[in-house]
Amino acid sequence: MPERVPMIVHLDADAFFVSVELALQPQYRGKKVAVGGRERGIIASASYEARAAGVYTPMPTARALRVCPDLILLPHKGNYGAVSRRMFDLCEELTPLVQRNSIDEGYLDLSPCGLRTTEAVVAAVRGLQARIWNALEIPVSMGIASNKLVSQIASKLRKPRGFVVVAPGDEAAFLAPLGIGKLPGVGPKTEAALEARGVRLIGDVIKRSERELESLVGSGWRGLVAAACGEDNGVVETEREDAKSYSQQETFAKDTADLAALERTVKGMVDELMRKVRADGKRVRTATVKVRYPDFGHDSAGRSLPEASDLEAPFYPLVSTLLRQAWKRPGPVRLVGVRLSGVDDGPRQLDLFGGASAGVAGEGTGLVDEEKRRKLAAVLDRLNAGKDVRVRHGHQL
Amino acid sequence: MKFKINRDHFSNGLAQVLNVVGSKATMPILSNVLIEAEKDSITLTTTNLDLGIRARIKADVKEPGSVTLPVKRLSTIVRELPNVDVSVDASPNHQVKLTSGGSTFRIMGIGKEEFPPLPEFGDDRTFTLEQAELTAMLKSVAYAQSSDETRYILNGVYFNFRDGKLSLVATDGRRLALVSKELEVPEDAAGSIILPAKTVGELMRMLDKGEKLKVSFNDRRASFQISADKADSGLVDSIYLYSKVVEGNYPNYQQVIPKETHQRIKLERELFLQCVHRAALVCSEKSNSVKIKLTSNLLEITAQSPDFGEAHESMAIAYSGPDLQVAFNPTFVMDPLKALTKDEVFFELKDEVSPGVFKTLESFICVIMPVRLS
Repeated sequence: MPERVPMIVHLDADAFFVSVELALQPQYRGKKVAVGGRERGIIASASYEARAAGVYTPMPTARALRVCPDLILLPHKGNYGAVSRRMFDLCEELTPLVQRNSIDEGYLDLSPCGLRTTEAVVAAVRGLQARIWNALEIPVSMGIASNKLVSQIASKLRKPRGFVVVAPGDEAAFLAPLGIGKLPGVGPKTEAALEARGVRLIGDVIKRSERELESLVGSGWRGLVAAACGEDNGVVETEREDAKSYSQQETFAKDTADLAALERTVKGMVDELMRKVRADGKRVRTATVKVRYPDFGHDSAGRSLPEASDLEAPFYPLVSTLLRQAWKRPGPVRLVGVRLSGVDDGPRQLDLFGGASAGVAGEGTGLVDEEKRRKLAAVLDRLNAGKDVRVRHGHQL
Repeated sequence: MKFKINRDHFSNGLAQVLNVVGSKATMPILSNVLIEAEKDSITLTTTNLDLGIRARIKADVKEPGSVTLPVKRLSTIVRELPNVDVSVDASPNHQVKLTSGGSTFRIMGIGKEEFPPLPEFGDDRTFTLEQAELTAMLKSVAYAQSSDETRYILNGVYFNFRDGKLSLVATDGRRLALVSKELEVPEDAAGSIILPAKTVGELMRMLDKGEKLKVSFNDRRASFQISADKADSGLVDSIYLYSKVVEGNYPNYQQVIPKETHQRIKLERELFLQCVHRAALVCSEKSNSVKIKLTSNLLEITAQSPDFGEAHESMAIAYSGPDLQVAFNPTFVMDPLKALTKDEVFFELKDEVSPGVFKTLESFICVIMPVRLS
């Protein structure tokens, strides 16, 4: 009988945002550092040294600085999206079945790789871990198991740079000594309720009778038992769930009432979001601008183009109007945000008056040279693909 | 004002002017029709300030005069009157009594003083055309007009009188239809206008009243005198249609018409139309395209939508060029095929990102841009 080999890998980058910044500023490596908003922000990511000092995420920055006064806040420089893409691209060199779950974690299915032994799988995943470090200086933790559920718990077990392998058949034994809160779907409330009844470890679940479990967690008890046994039939899905919208927002260090500055900020957000829209091969139709006032009240205004676009230009004229419409109350705002929705990924209708006949259309026809703009956008996207935004639109100057 | 009139003539006359009403709440009189009675006819006029129509109908006028009445209601009432003989009697306070058989209506009117007059033309460029011919020309391009208000220049049909011909052009930026006919154009009379879509619609509706029409225009407005010499309509002389034109420069359409022919196929128009129509039945709003594939002596049309299914159609054709495949919005393919009347049409293709071109032997061209499949 051939050896049963674990084929599912969960990859989880260690303190991803901090790691991206440390790759750019290695002088801070080994120090208590964090990435997050300064004045009123929260800690988005903290180094393991900082975590040891009591910093966790998400935690208000002000509090983090109290518990850890020598915490170094790194300025946001890295292009997290681009680093994430390159990390997953490296994964796809190993196997085509990669599920990009979020910016810093995902699943790999090694079934198509022709690996026959656990040793071969371990060697391949070690190799990937090393390649990601060598290429991007991003430490990652790996969990290898026969399914997504167990691999995901395994990867988080010995961070940073963890590497945990669970042999097929050992799932229940592997999970049994772990805290009940490690099971997906067991949130803090359920965890507290279960612990109050003596179910502290995952292994405790299996010892209880069905009736007892049903009274504890209700109809979901079957799922809980299956999870506790390490059973999971989820497949690694390569097709990401399509984005329904693209959005971005910024909280200002100080409340502002400067319309021109707000307009510039929103246009800059549109630029960044459109880059993502193009990278996904989509178009969007609707822009919604949101403002938040110092008392956390908020207003928004939105408008749709006649047709979805993957270019910034058609949205620029809307920005100022939407901003004025959204900003209903007098006085400053503390946050501004923009959302692009109405995502379209159907085939793109080509224009007659694009390409060669640029500029012949005359005013008012709206027959702007979209093809040219699209080419320009593609060039800008390539130039800006690295860690820094190198080329900006004029309105950002 | 007092006159007797044939119900069907009256109804027919009102039907000519009915569509042109102002929706502007600030000028209620724009939803009225101006009725002027003199000698042996009445004149019906409506306008929305951008567009105006005037028609004359036979009537037995007892007392000349004028009044304006809400045209929609009046038209409905006249159509439903019990007897073919109708008498209309307006009192000086603009109340109108309408009698037919045992029916009597009293309708509140407004005096003509507030009604904006239709501008008359002076020394404008004037051409005489055949109604039937212009109808056919308009039909073969009108579908390509843009309805996107942000591209207002394209919200109409471009009339170009120049170089010994009249060319009509319409485009929405994704497709363009052009048709022309020979016409004597004296050099000093050459010129062009963009006729608004609404006027085009009204014009097409009216062009079967007789043989000729006269078009006059200057830079700001155009007028059409449509002779109404068909019997039994009750219409007298000609219908007068006045319209503002779209002001601005029409795009240089010559530049987007491919100069070279790459692969040309001859198609049976009806058959091709039916195939595309059937294939398009599986299209959805999100996946609105049909793929046209040419291989040796075979044309295939496929369409699909992920949540419904797919369709495949095939047609034998004469073709010996390279295999090629291109996708179009099915409406763009079907519109010119529907508008044409000839049995055969030429279709020229190059590759999946170049325009497709429909042509007939009658100086008709329709250029359609493909959709790029991702």
